[in-house]
Amino acid sequence: MQSEEQSEKSLPNLGAAPVSHPEPVSLARTLAACVAALVLPGLGHLVLGRWARGAVIGLGIASMFGCGLWMQGRVFTPQPGDWLTWLFSFLDAGLGVPYFVCVTADIGVKIQAAAPTYEYGTNFIAVAGALNMLAMMDAYDIGIGRKA
Amino acid sequence: MTHFLALILFSALVGVVFAALSSEHHDPASRVKYGLKVLGSFVGIGFLIAWALYFLPI
Repeated sequence: MQSEEQSEKSLPNLGAAPVSHPEPVSLARTLAACVAALVLPGLGHLVLGRWARGAVIGLGIASMFGCGLWMQGRVFTPQPGDWLTWLFSFLDAGLGVPYFVCVTADIGVKIQAAAPTYEYGTNFIAVAGALNMLAMMDAYDIGIGRKA
Repeated sequence: MTHFLALILFSALVGVVFAALSSEHHDPASRVKYGLKVLGSFVGIGFLIAWALYFLPI
């Protein structure tokens, strides 16, 4: 009976590139990256030293959010008795500081349904928030060494 | 802003972020290719859904 080590040695080399395991960073830095990613889009990757990826993610999400506001989309705040506003508020809040600045300064909070691009803009803002949550999970994966 | 321009803009921006977040593409060339694939998929599926809705009596 072959041992596991022997059977691994006898496996044919099919020309696949060797799998590299990225080094995890400290737990504190991983948590800092997650929080930073939720504060400002792309900042989590910058904390981890992924400058190019952080810049692309930050610019992409910021552009999407900016386009949403330009299209007169709505920045949602939770309204009692209207569950859909809670869902959209959760998505919008994924943007972090930009969302809270908009809510505090009353930017995009009013419904502008008469604008032809209102629905597009609202969805641009919600998707920008959702993409930033994905970016935060990506920063976590990089921090624990699951991704390069 | 036309419907089509909004679709292109949305698809391009989501494609850029998806390409940056992808774990299966490691070099810039393959990331760009993947981003373009995402853009094309969004636009193509958008067109298919638009034509399907065109024939529906709604």
